[in-house]
Amino acid sequence: MLDYMIYILAFAVGSILGLLYSYKQHGEPFVAVPDFNMPMAVVAILGWCLAFCSGNVILTAIGILMGGFVMGERPGYGRKETAAGLIIAIALYLLMKWAV
Amino acid sequence: MNLMAEILIQVIIAFLAGSLLLGLHRKIMARVQKRPGPPIVQHLIHSLKFFFKETAIPKTVSKVFYIGIVFILALIWIVGVIAGPVAHDSLLIIFGVYAVYKIVEHNSGSSSGSPYGKLSCVRAVLSAATELPLFAAIVFVYLIVGSMNIGEIIAYQSIHGALIFKIPLAALMFFMLIITKSPYSPFAITKDKVLISGFETEHFGFLRGFMLFSESIAWYVLLWVFLTIFFGPLNAVGYLIGMIAITFITGFINATTPILSPNHSVMTQITIGAICFFGTIIMIFSGVVV
Repeated sequence: MLDYMIYILAFAVGSILGLLYSYKQHGEPFVAVPDFNMPMAVVAILGWCLAFCSGNVILTAIGILMGGFVMGERPGYGRKETAAGLIIAIALYLLMKWAV
Repeated sequence: MNLMAEILIQVIIAFLAGSLLLGLHRKIMARVQKRPGPPIVQHLIHSLKFFFKETAIPKTVSKVFYIGIVFILALIWIVGVIAGPVAHDSLLIIFGVYAVYKIVEHNSGSSSGSPYGKLSCVRAVLSAATELPLFAAIVFVYLIVGSMNIGEIIAYQSIHGALIFKIPLAALMFFMLIITKSPYSPFAITKDKVLISGFETEHFGFLRGFMLFSESIAWYVLLWVFLTIFFGPLNAVGYLIGMIAITFITGFINATTPILSPNHSVMTQITIGAICFFGTIIMIFSGVVV
């Protein structure tokens, strides 16, 4: 169970850091449809791919922290990036599973 | 693994997972109501924040009860974690935990000296109606499996299939309890907004922090028990998907349903409980449940 505790702690810490970071970047009132943020999308894709496909506790935790960072951004931000990251990571996971 | 370490790890998981799920619950309710809603991690931040806030104790409180009750609240749900996810022990302990939780709600309201708390305390007695369907659901699980031990219930389901397909109405009764315990539930008469925050109204600072800590653990334990006794042996991904799905469903229900008045709430719970109880008995005696 220790590994699950590490994962959930990584997600919570990543989300809090993401929230703090995004409020520092975007102080404006709520924006319903912000632009697609490419650097954040890269972080999300890399994070979720590590989380789903690495098979290593430390790398998975780092991946969840990165994924949580983007997912935990202030409301309205990070949604499309998270969706892109999750779709690519799940596709990669299924490809790797079928290829083996 | 050392038992104490196992308990500590499971309590931390229960607190974090419960907080994140309750945050998700708020987010879903907000999206249904076309609001942006707070971030998912907000409930966790909220819980932690209260531990660092100033704790004021009103003059009208019964001090020993007022302070002691929040620790009892945290303790009973930690017992719930030990009896459930850690030890896979008897369902009766879970029932006992829920029964004591009702007493804690009652005493927390009555010790505060606030009229809102006291009215919430009276409603806590009424809302004990939710325990009847819970007890009935546990009895049906016992009738089918022949044991109340969670470990044996899991073993039974791994051979005979998930209990949700055998006694769906008993599962519905348990689900009623989950809806009742969810935030902003139509049956949450003890936390009706006309009572401000109900039995929690006069608890500030770290005392409220302990209450939010306990609520998070309670949500996790209830979902864990429901998934375990009705959906058979699940792995971590199964629990994650199941908990998120139930949080989604309760979020949708609570976002679209107004809170009921106490008499309507109790009557609705008892009526649904009675229909499911007699329905399951008919299913058992007519041979639908083998």
